[in-house]
Amino acid sequence: MSYFWIKAGLRRWPRVVLPASAGLFLLLCFTPGLAACQSSDGEKAIPILTGTAGYFNFVTAGQNQVDAQINPVLLVPLGDRWLVESRAEFEGAFQRPPDGGSYGGMVSKNLDYLQADYIANTYLTVTMGRFLTPFGIFNERLYPIWIRSLQQDPLILPLSAESSDGMMLRGGFPVNAKVNLNYAAYVSAVSSGHNNLESDRNVGGRMGIFLPGPRVEVGASWQKLLQDERTHSFGFHFAWQPMRFPLNIHSEYARSNQGSGYWIDGAYRLSQVLFWQKALRRLEFAGRAEQFFNGQISSDEAQALGLPAANTREGEFGLNYYLHDGLKAVASYGRQFSSAGNLNLWTVGIAYRFAVPLGRVGSQ
Amino acid sequence: MKYKSLAIIWLLALISAIGVASSAPRTRRATEPAVYSSAEADAMRLEGEKRFRANCNRCHAAPHKFPPRMMATIVRHMRVRATITDDDMRYILYYMTQ
Ligand code: HEC
Repeated sequence: MSYFWIKAGLRRWPRVVLPASAGLFLLLCFTPGLAACQSSDGEKAIPILTGTAGYFNFVTAGQNQVDAQINPVLLVPLGDRWLVESRAEFEGAFQRPPDGGSYGGMVSKNLDYLQADYIANTYLTVTMGRFLTPFGIFNERLYPIWIRSLQQDPLILPLSAESSDGMMLRGGFPVNAKVNLNYAAYVSAVSSGHNNLESDRNVGGRMGIFLPGPRVEVGASWQKLLQDERTHSFGFHFAWQPMRFPLNIHSEYARSNQGSGYWIDGAYRLSQVLFWQKALRRLEFAGRAEQFFNGQISSDEAQALGLPAANTREGEFGLNYYLHDGLKAVASYGRQFSSAGNLNLWTVGIAYRFAVPLGRVGSQ
Repeated sequence: MKYKSLAIIWLLALISAIGVASSAPRTRRATEPAVYSSAEADAMRLEGEKRFRANCNRCHAAPHKFPPRMMATIVRHMRVRATITDDDMRYILYYMTQ
């Protein structure tokens, strides 16, 4: 008898238990006693339209590509504890055919995230919807063109899904005066191969330890695919911004059945030089070294995922000039070495981050 | 297989519900104006600046100040995205809006 109930319950549980627990969850969120504990933002937050616009020329192995993109980000705070946020990517990539003629190409559209965040307490924020997969650091923290110090994607970026659809718990809190801990745990329940909405069914998490004194973060990520081969991926990340000099170092390692590899990025801002200060403090040198090793998939499959078809090494060096807060001109050169052929990568362009209020801004 | 991901969602929902339910009410409500003596205000600003320097150029160049209500949204966004702690957020917001 009890066996029957368990079995029936298991079969019906998505229909019965899920709405019930969602109800419980919402009830707990909105209990009057709890509504009293507001966040201490003080200032009333207003909606903002922000995002980036960029224009680049990529020359890869002699082939010129003109890339124009606009990536709006909408931030809508609701009450003291909610934030609805979304980012879309519109990117036009145009190339001249090898035999000459006019530039042709297409505009791609992508919804990177559309999520509701509920800041529950000091330790926990609950996110629901489509969100950036918190695997490693590049995808979630360094991806926007105004942030990345070199415009080329790291070779290992396609090893994890960029966006996930489901639910995530995350937070950051001090363990003691010298150590902060941050975490994210998520489940992506939807598998979509739709061009603008790609995602997989997976579950994963990331944990990081940040030391605010020396400004060092180390962390690890893990992900398990809940479809196809049900493979695992894992990775480690490291970030360091020494207090004494304007250096910014980020690094990541990732491994899955599709391949493995690492990148290490360094950016040095000339804000401490003693001559031509006015001009030079806006200049940044950036460099990256990276490597990718083939996994257990065919080279065609790898290319379809955006991964290199063969083992690859790459070095890149660039100059960024900060014309204004959020506006930078970029130029870089990279060399890729692989058994499939070596090639040069040139980039020049401009990246801009805008932010406009959608409401009354208040006064200082 | 599908049930497994639903099971995990359910578990996460439950954990978050418990987390939400156990959140202790704060003593000061956000809507109450915070009144600081000038020494307190200076200390808040200094601490805010220190935390701003420790946190706000880890991923991108440290941004300039925006008007207060925009800053409130941005800091909330960064709290979620960059998993900035509750305390850091409060001090930084104070520093960025003074
Ligand atoms: C862990 C990395 C990280 C840290 C630390 C961080 N940011 Fe950001 N910040 C980002 C990313 C990523 C974006 C872009 C968001 C997007 O486009 O989806 C961003 C965007 C912004 C923007 C543009 C408007 C917006 O909200 O999108 C401002 C302004 C900003 N951050 C200010 C700050 C301040 C102030 C701090 C310190 C409290 C801070 N950031 C700390 C990663 C970080």
